[in-house]
Amino acid sequence: MFITLIRQWVLTPFVNYRLFHNFIRQDFFAQFTASIAGFLWLFLTPIIHIIIYAFVFSYIFQIRDPEGFGQTTFVIFMMVGYLPWFAFADAISKSTGLLIEKAPLITKVVFPVNIIPIVGTMVPYLTHGIGFGVLLVYLATQGYLSWMWLLLPVVFFLQFLFTMGLVAVLSALCVFLRDLQQLVALLVMTWFFLTPIIYPITLIESESIRSLFLLNPMHSFINLYREIVLLGEFSLINFQIIVPVSLLSYFLGGWLFMKIKNAFGDVL
Amino acid sequence: MPRISVANLNKEFKIYARPQDRLTEILLRRKKHQVYHVLSDISFALPDGKSLGIIGDNGAGKTTLLKLLVGTLQPTSGDISIRGQVAALLELGAGFHPEFSGRKNIFLNASLLGVPDDDIAQLENDIIEFSELDYFIDRPVKTYSSGMYVRLAFSIATMVRPDILVIDEALSVGDMAFQKKCVQRMNQFRQEQKTMVFCSHSMFHVQELCDIAIWLDKGRIREIGDSDKVVGHYEDFCNSKKTYHSIQEDIPAALGETQQPKDGNQTQDCKINYLAVKSLQGEELTSLIPLSSIVLEMEVEVLVDGMEANFGFAFMKSAEEPVASFLTNDIERIDKGPFNKGDKFIVSLTIENIAMRVGEFYVLGGLADKSGLLWYETKFSKLLSVEANKGVGPLIMKSDWQVVKST
Repeated sequence: MFITLIRQWVLTPFVNYRLFHNFIRQDFFAQFTASIAGFLWLFLTPIIHIIIYAFVFSYIFQIRDPEGFGQTTFVIFMMVGYLPWFAFADAISKSTGLLIEKAPLITKVVFPVNIIPIVGTMVPYLTHGIGFGVLLVYLATQGYLSWMWLLLPVVFFLQFLFTMGLVAVLSALCVFLRDLQQLVALLVMTWFFLTPIIYPITLIESESIRSLFLLNPMHSFINLYREIVLLGEFSLINFQIIVPVSLLSYFLGGWLFMKIKNAFGDVL
Repeated sequence: MPRISVANLNKEFKIYARPQDRLTEILLRRKKHQVYHVLSDISFALPDGKSLGIIGDNGAGKTTLLKLLVGTLQPTSGDISIRGQVAALLELGAGFHPEFSGRKNIFLNASLLGVPDDDIAQLENDIIEFSELDYFIDRPVKTYSSGMYVRLAFSIATMVRPDILVIDEALSVGDMAFQKKCVQRMNQFRQEQKTMVFCSHSMFHVQELCDIAIWLDKGRIREIGDSDKVVGHYEDFCNSKKTYHSIQEDIPAALGETQQPKDGNQTQDCKINYLAVKSLQGEELTSLIPLSSIVLEMEVEVLVDGMEANFGFAFMKSAEEPVASFLTNDIERIDKGPFNKGDKFIVSLTIENIAMRVGEFYVLGGLADKSGLLWYETKFSKLLSVEANKGVGPLIMKSDWQVVKST
């Protein structure tokens, strides 16, 4: 069982490298094709989001600059958390339609279906990873650069695995339960507000409630980005959470997907 | 060892009245579905290098069988074993992205179909040339006509070099010139001793391209064998579908029994002792070979004095549907009575070059009154099938070719 999982889930993108590559290319460029601004949307969307949140929170609500992050302004603080979140949220939101949109392919063409959730996660991570990269380059010029940054790809990759597991499960379940499409949209929004992205966790005063946030792996991810990027340090507890959670999500998601993929043909 | 072997294959679809029933069934473990049998008990083996045609009415399960063979559907029970790489053309252009140019779509589509990685770039020009798209290749696929769309898709698909090629209805599209190219490409594929499975409504194509054919009827194999034969029988079945019931119901009742005269006269005027269909050499036949010559023969016994009669034979598709008839009305040299009680005659009719190409027929022998309108007595033969040969259409004619170069 485990060997099958390794071969058909972990190794799929490598075994079917050309297919994987062509899929990614098609889905990635499909986002921009036939639009005038094209690639500019890659940057415009997150920038506009950030301007809106910055306006609401720093100007209207007058949120103080976060404690414990030195001179960092609220907008920078928020962006470091928001851009990786955006990749996660985008992948999850799109997951529900992944298999349904590709129904003609799945029922009519013989190819490793496992590749679809992998591509479906990869494309948003590529898209938003570029935005995050641009922000990091900017911050590097502002004197934030440290050796600790070498950990960033690891964290980002773990977040990618965590997302991929969820995407696999959601996309597969959605074939049988279309209601998930609406539910997931609500879920993503709720999750967004329950994760300290547009507010620092210090805003929550009760210690006991604050410790509840440890149950939210996205909180640990975002905390890590902030600590690593802005402070050049990290708390071990966050790593202790995200490593097992990501691996569990990745393998469990892949296992579940392969368990039910044989039924896709009957339902789609 | 066969390329494809299928044993006791069954496929059922679960039909749920409402989508939530599927969920309640999983959660409560209570049966909420109805089972629909798409395929039942399918078994066959296809040797290497042979091609298989699948024919049958709409809804007979042809596409389901193909999907099971290629693996996009899983069987409910039974075994499928396939040796070698399979490429499937169940739907042309299934992976095309409408916003991208034809050229860009080539890459994803080719890798989906399993064209070896390095070959795609190399094959790009071949594909474009074969598709006859010219400069349209750099226009978005959404601007293509359906013919262009299919041409591109088929061009990509034929670049695949699998061991087994599975094709569903792919040829029913495109203009004649392109269809010809497709058939050529498929013939080439056959010459390379590759295995092909092909499902189509075009009987001509199935006959031309397949060695073996399966006729599916309501999810079961109704006939499997030589494609010429199976296609012939299927064509015949389609032609006679409207009267199919009457063949089934009427003939067995009439077979071998003497029918009462239509005027209600209970006393018989005559009796047909036997009716036979023979070859020229006098052997009794159970099947007919197109364009062969046969002899229809019956023995008639007169039961009343002074009977005047005409003799007749007919080929019948059913009790009501004659195909060809022969009557002695206008034939002067035949003795038409009056006959005496106890007279016996052997009546025989030689038919040259029978023109039926496909189908199953009964031969009817009978005696009619002087005018030829009222039948005293008729008798049906056993069902005779025509051994179909290559070609299309219900008839075949004796013919002679000549091709001479004109000056």
